[in-house]
Amino acid sequence: MDERDLINRVRAGDSIAERALYDAHVDRVYRLAYRLAGDEALAQDFTQETFIRAFEKLDTFRGDSALSTWLHAITTSVVLNGLRKVKRFHRREADLDTADGVGVGRREAEPDLKVRLRQAIDALPQGYRTVFVMHDIEGFTHEEIGVALGVETGTSKAQLSRARAKLRESLADFAGEWIA
Amino acid sequence: MMLDNEDPKFDQWLRHAAQAYNAPRPTPRDEMWARIQAGRVRRAAPWLRWGLAAAALLVLGIGIGRWTAHQGTSVAGGTPVAIADTTGNGLVYQVAATQYFSRTETFLTGFRADLRAGRVDTRFTGQARDLLTTTRLLLDSPAADDPRMRALLEDLELVLVQISQLEAGRDNRNADLITQDMDQRSVLPKLRSAIPAGPVPVRTQGAI
Repeated sequence: MDERDLINRVRAGDSIAERALYDAHVDRVYRLAYRLAGDEALAQDFTQETFIRAFEKLDTFRGDSALSTWLHAITTSVVLNGLRKVKRFHRREADLDTADGVGVGRREAEPDLKVRLRQAIDALPQGYRTVFVMHDIEGFTHEEIGVALGVETGTSKAQLSRARAKLRESLADFAGEWIA
Repeated sequence: MMLDNEDPKFDQWLRHAAQAYNAPRPTPRDEMWARIQAGRVRRAAPWLRWGLAAAALLVLGIGIGRWTAHQGTSVAGGTPVAIADTTGNGLVYQVAATQYFSRTETFLTGFRADLRAGRVDTRFTGQARDLLTTTRLLLDSPAADDPRMRALLEDLELVLVQISQLEAGRDNRNADLITQDMDQRSVLPKLRSAIPAGPVPVRTQGAI
């Protein structure tokens, strides 16, 4: 079934079409949510919220872009807003720990490359990390990222370049790995 | 043109190495779909939910009134402290939740038993829908302010949504998955521990 037909059927309240639309897009939405959230429960929550909003707002989808692009814009908005809330919550918890004097000291960085790479990606500014995850890990194009994040394609390219530069700097100890 | 900060070898290595970053697990499609459906219903008709909540509480209030009146006559001469407390909203919701948990526990136990005997009929889907309405009312009530209560109600909502969507006689595999899900989440043990010992008040009133 062609995408436009599917959308029209969903708009008409066809529950089989709703499930078909969900099945066609859920994997990519969930993967993106998981990559950005790094937590299974959060990824599920964000995916669910994405589809609830998408079904609610499907009437406003004008078809200027592909449905997947529109869905990924909702996904990134839901995930980034959700992560901000989670971060604020964790910061409050950390403040309470510090106030109680029960906070644990910062863990020494693991020498393992995998762990260091993870830490370096986590430490990227949110905008850089999002573009890096979408482009280099999930294979989105700069055009798709631009639409999803509401930025120019050039901004997406610049942020990716800065993200890679920061990662190269953070992982300088392991330069042998990629030179080899 | 290559910029100063570009290093194609690093970029290539990075793309490969970063695949392990937050590597996703398989998509739990059916579980998320059930929750999406439940979430949509909950958001779609708030007026309906509040209307039902008001009606349910009214009937429940009458039930509690009858129950407490009966208690008052059966313990003649006793101090009516408990009756005075029943005017508090907390107790109303507590009674409603206890009664609902008791009904749901009975229903899920029966569902499992029938499933083991190879029977899944439409009676279950209808009852699941009824209980689902109450689950959602409780989720929107102060009874769900307690995080443990909310978690249990959400688990039950998920299970009941799945049962309500079963097709009689044609869905044994899905029914098995529901019971597996119930076991993984320890739904029945949690449910039983949420029901206080002793008789459940206004159980026979069918108030909610």
